[in-house]
Amino acid sequence: MDDQNKKPRTISNMQKRALILAVRAGELMMKNGAEVYRVEDTITRICRACHIPYVEVFATTTGVFVTIGSGGEGGDVYTYIKSLDGRTTDLKKISDLNKFSREFTDTDLSVESGIKRLSEIDNAKPYPLPIRLLGAGLVASFFCGIFSGHIIDSLCSFIIGVAGYSLASFLDRYDINYFIRGFTCCGLTTFLALLADSSGACSNYGAIVIGTIMIFVPGVAITNSIRDFLSGDMLAGVARMAEALIIAVSLATGAGIIIAAWNMIGGVAL
Amino acid sequence: MITWEMIVPLIMGFAPTLGFCLLFHVPANHILPAALIGGLGWAAYELWTSTGNNKVIGCFLAACLVGLLSDISARTLKEASTVFSIPGIMPLVPGAGMYYTMLELIKNDFSQAAALGSETLFMAGAIALGLMVVGSVIRIIISIKRKIYST
Repeated sequence: MDDQNKKPRTISNMQKRALILAVRAGELMMKNGAEVYRVEDTITRICRACHIPYVEVFATTTGVFVTIGSGGEGGDVYTYIKSLDGRTTDLKKISDLNKFSREFTDTDLSVESGIKRLSEIDNAKPYPLPIRLLGAGLVASFFCGIFSGHIIDSLCSFIIGVAGYSLASFLDRYDINYFIRGFTCCGLTTFLALLADSSGACSNYGAIVIGTIMIFVPGVAITNSIRDFLSGDMLAGVARMAEALIIAVSLATGAGIIIAAWNMIGGVAL
Repeated sequence: MITWEMIVPLIMGFAPTLGFCLLFHVPANHILPAALIGGLGWAAYELWTSTGNNKVIGCFLAACLVGLLSDISARTLKEASTVFSIPGIMPLVPGAGMYYTMLELIKNDFSQAAALGSETLFMAGAIALGLMVVGSVIRIIISIKRKIYST
């Protein structure tokens, strides 16, 4: 205890920069689909590596709050609040950030070069669009196959899945609200599936719709929300559960309204 | 013994997981193990449900397998375990359940919709629970191991 009291009770400029670095790292992790405990752990570790005696982190899906202090009476206290919006899933970034935090705590990487590394990680692009479209097509066609679609249904599903994902990435460019995104994409794919069905190109529109729903399904939000709940981060758990539910509802209504409308004009029997 | 009936679900799980790996930007050198984990998870689920067993428990067991394999490959490949577990559980997520629930709602069959909807919800919960259980067990084993070695 004596040792601690002899230390100057101030936060150095380097430590202030470290706070910015830590919050930036936490922000990137949260935005790209990490769980709350991982974010809090990373921020705490980065701050501890810079010999900050007192660190308190509170992270939810919509914001990261970090307070650092020099400890003792009359010490310095600094707080950084960062509110977040827009979430994607980019596992390359999570993996890079994980490596970065380990490297930062194990070696004496300077804070400035750390901040530079973080912006490099942030600027990394996802796979080019054609490859992602291929991925979406694979998901749609094989799920169509799993739910008893024939080969020809799977082929239709591949094309329709690609169309749906193209619309999704087009909407992403304009920062469209995620309910509308799920709704319109699922609506489009259902419409195309019904069109293909009634034109006689394929025979099982249900399997095609399931296949294309799987592209947009909120699997990450569901698993992360339960993980957050069970690790005691109730607020983040509730927020993510709400997100997952809203996405699921948007997909179901998108498909449902189109099928109901198609049914009403007599195109298909339910 | 490996039969054709076991290979087909493996491929049927492998290919969509590969697709999710591309969508979620899994690092290129880890796509293959991640997709294989997804395939194994889906094959386990198919194996369990093919004999008419409960779907929710199937999801739980498959998610346990995915969690375990993800953790093993995360340790051997020095990678965050979510890189493997997130694409791995995606085939198990009940998109079909969502679709059938919605279909029953359109038909105004609310009791059937409630039954399917709650099953869908429980399947989603079971996936997360499976991952969680494996994670906790591994954490306990590691801390016990550390205690044994430190004394």
